[in-house]
Amino acid sequence: MEEKVNTAVCFCQHTNGHTDVVDISEVAAYAEEIPGVRTVWYTSSLPIADTREITRMIMEEGISRIVLAGEQPGMYKTVFAKSLAAAGMKAENVVQAGFREHGAIKKSDTDRAKAILACAVYGVPFENAAIPEESDVHPDTLVIGGGISGIQASLEIADGNQKVYLLEKTGTIGGHMAMFDKTFPTLDCAACILTPKMVEVGQHPNIDLMTYCEVLGVSGEAGNYKVRILKKSKRVDQATCIGCGTCMEKCPKKAPSEFDAEISMRKAIYIPFPQAVPNKYLIDADNCTYVENGKCGICVKVCPVPDCIDLDQQDEEVEITVGNIVVATGFKPFDAKHVDQFGYGKFPNVITSLEFERLINAAGPTSGNIVFRSQDKKGNWIFNDESASPKSIALIHCVGSRDENYNKYCSKVCCMYSLKLAHLAKEKLPDAEVSEYYIDMRSFGKGYEEFYERIDNEGINIIRGRTAKIEESGDQLLLRSEDIEGGRLIEQKVDMVVLAVGLEARDDSEELAKMLGIAQDENGWFNETNFLSDPVGTFAGGITIAGVCQGPKDIPDSVAQGSAAASRVLQSIIKGKVKKSIKDISLDYIESNAKKLSKIMEDKL
Amino acid sequence: MIQRVNPDLKKYLVKYGIQDWNECFHCGNCTAICPLTDQGFLFPRKAIRQVQMGLKTSLASNFDPWLCYYCGECSETCPRDANPGELMMSLRRYLTSVYDWTGFSKLFYTKKIWEFLTIIILFILVIASFVVWFPKEQIANFTTYIGDHSFLKVIEAGDLIMAAVVAFVLISNIFRMWYLTILKPKYKVPFIEYFRGIYVLPGVFASQISFRKCDTDGRLYWVNHLLLMTGYTLMFILVVVFLPKFQVSEVYNWYHWQRLLGYYATFGLLFGLSAMFIGRWRKKSEKFKFSHLSDWLFIIMLFLTTLTGILVHIFRLADMPYATYYLYIIHLAVLVPMICVEVPFSKWSHLAYRPFSIYFYYLKKAALSKQHKSKLAAAA
Repeated sequence: MEEKVNTAVCFCQHTNGHTDVVDISEVAAYAEEIPGVRTVWYTSSLPIADTREITRMIMEEGISRIVLAGEQPGMYKTVFAKSLAAAGMKAENVVQAGFREHGAIKKSDTDRAKAILACAVYGVPFENAAIPEESDVHPDTLVIGGGISGIQASLEIADGNQKVYLLEKTGTIGGHMAMFDKTFPTLDCAACILTPKMVEVGQHPNIDLMTYCEVLGVSGEAGNYKVRILKKSKRVDQATCIGCGTCMEKCPKKAPSEFDAEISMRKAIYIPFPQAVPNKYLIDADNCTYVENGKCGICVKVCPVPDCIDLDQQDEEVEITVGNIVVATGFKPFDAKHVDQFGYGKFPNVITSLEFERLINAAGPTSGNIVFRSQDKKGNWIFNDESASPKSIALIHCVGSRDENYNKYCSKVCCMYSLKLAHLAKEKLPDAEVSEYYIDMRSFGKGYEEFYERIDNEGINIIRGRTAKIEESGDQLLLRSEDIEGGRLIEQKVDMVVLAVGLEARDDSEELAKMLGIAQDENGWFNETNFLSDPVGTFAGGITIAGVCQGPKDIPDSVAQGSAAASRVLQSIIKGKVKKSIKDISLDYIESNAKKLSKIMEDKL
Repeated sequence: MIQRVNPDLKKYLVKYGIQDWNECFHCGNCTAICPLTDQGFLFPRKAIRQVQMGLKTSLASNFDPWLCYYCGECSETCPRDANPGELMMSLRRYLTSVYDWTGFSKLFYTKKIWEFLTIIILFILVIASFVVWFPKEQIANFTTYIGDHSFLKVIEAGDLIMAAVVAFVLISNIFRMWYLTILKPKYKVPFIEYFRGIYVLPGVFASQISFRKCDTDGRLYWVNHLLLMTGYTLMFILVVVFLPKFQVSEVYNWYHWQRLLGYYATFGLLFGLSAMFIGRWRKKSEKFKFSHLSDWLFIIMLFLTTLTGILVHIFRLADMPYATYYLYIIHLAVLVPMICVEVPFSKWSHLAYRPFSIYFYYLKKAALSKQHKSKLAAAA
């Protein structure tokens, strides 16, 4: 006996004031047209806490199946399953049509939302109906970003005997990890882990390292992307430079060193840091006197290699063809100047964690001596080795993170790196008083909680309570905080304050996302296909994301994502095919596929 | 202190204007950024905690909200947008209703219709009593009759009765406040401190010196508030206590001290009220972002009283007896409900609770330091 299936579609969408969301009224109108749909409900007008009332509605309409549609409708499943069961139907007949899960988020994705809903109504998994076509894949791969994640991805792909272009914006690969002294929780030396990998990248026959380069545009489709790349001129012949450093010695022009988080000065002709890969000099055109006004050229005169330095070299544009692209562009630290109460930029000894990281680094500008910031002859604030050391240091967590005024999200790494920095500070200055002010201690990984306990027992003053403001008090800084656990106000005077700044999406990530056709979330991080089951994939075919550009994460996770992205790339190269973007599949195609599949399933039953 | 957790407290407090109370994750930013917090007086976070946990008894004995002048720094820098400043403001409303034993305050705050009704009834009563009692033949020469002895006697009697009733309610409520905040939580205040502390009251009332600390954004709310407060107090004293001297038949020279005092009071009232009105209208400053009905009523009623008072003065100088008479009635018809409703039961009551909260703050500090000392002695 054939039983007629009456489906109710229930929309569980909350716009929360956002306007650029899926157009529910349009999807609802579409839903009413699908055969088998008896009625359309909205959770906003349903007595959602009252299962008895819903049961009554189900029985009245003769509903035997409910499709929950919305951004993330899962939370309503229990209510409807209970009501269905109470009405004498099968509780498992509650099907979800999750828009976000399948990439329908914005208003322009309304057609995609319709397709997702159609699949749910027909009882066909969306993935089975929305199968993108496959195209041949070009074996070369482009990795954008030379941080630890990009390095890992490049090495894995290159070790699989495939050609990789590793593109890096600055003069060296290594990214933020190269700036760190130690890593948490093992307190391994960051450079000892990273530099061998960097050298391997530099020497790998399958890796074409493109430093000081930027992506200008991407065209083509999955499997065959044409990428236009701007090769900024380094004005030093990378093939003949012997890296002797004479040019740097004689160069008269100084600029803040990016690698030292701008706490020290470098020359206009420079090498980012001694272990940089490639280990060759380059000229910063923005600060070079010759580029500015044509006078100088001292570096050319002192260079022992003839024709090595060409101050008139121009930027170049190249185009490469790749089958896959791995995006591993990382992050930028939160600009602590935004937080007025902390006086960063006003008080010289309020510094950011990244600055402190360079200060404490044995290979940093002060050889690891923690000293006060002082002014050089030209008035630049730098860290001079000869300055005195602070006797008390305070670290403030959650600067720019977990804050509605700046970034709502938790930057994940700050608690742990602050503990690490506190430990290192105590190690270098055993007599100094080191305090930490936190909101919640988030030690989330393997061995992290143990690390926290260890630091807690090292005589570091760990206080629960967010510091509200920093004021100058004589030579010292006055912190005002509430000690939540102690139930008192704390007004502490310290010599130096370290702000644990959070991670933010890079300024250029929006531009890159547009070029690549990948989506960003509201904080600017790149969107993955599925947060749980596919954290490195994107809806654009042949493009994967890895590392912090997908969301804040620590080094182990970044490395793991680099490997994951590499395996995705290798898989497509071995297969010789890559799936095209799911974005391009039309509603009609998905709909007809779903119909076909549901017919097959019905016939089988 | 054993107390019952009241899970519905926060829902109830919504009527007094609290919002976003549940956003707070207790980082302590608000307490630390506040220019007025002190050891043992950790607001606003403590109050947020009490609201979140439904600790009604603790909340009733917590007079911290009265110490806050709402500079808005806490709300501005709150990482959760939990609006601690507005919570303190709402708790001041709530505490007013807690201290008030008559129950009118609670009624007016939670059921707006009753507040309006009371105001309208009093308004009509005043007008009606004038219609019934006022000798019609005197309307034509009201500009001089206004200072007549027989007329003044009645007005003064009414004034004094009203002042007595209001004062009785306020004073008894202050005793309740003292009972709830000092006696009930068993703070052992050395008896002598009650006398030592009494000197703070007039000083605090006259200068509102701690308000000055709250002008954090460079705007002089303190000056503004001081103008309004002194203007109001001066006018109150002139028209209630010194009515026979103030409201006289003859018109003094403009530089006569009585007129000058009156003009200062009027200016203070007008200036302070306009600044507050504009602030609440534009909602730019954190402290004026949210306005409860009681805040608007406070401004509007006082503004109408001031305005009608000025008009009475102008019409009288212009020798227009009828206009003076009718405006005089309206003036009283607005003034009476304003004083009867606002002063003991609504926003105006802060004129008593604020100075006394500082007095109690002094007492509590004395008790805490004594407790601390005895603890130290016991330890030794």
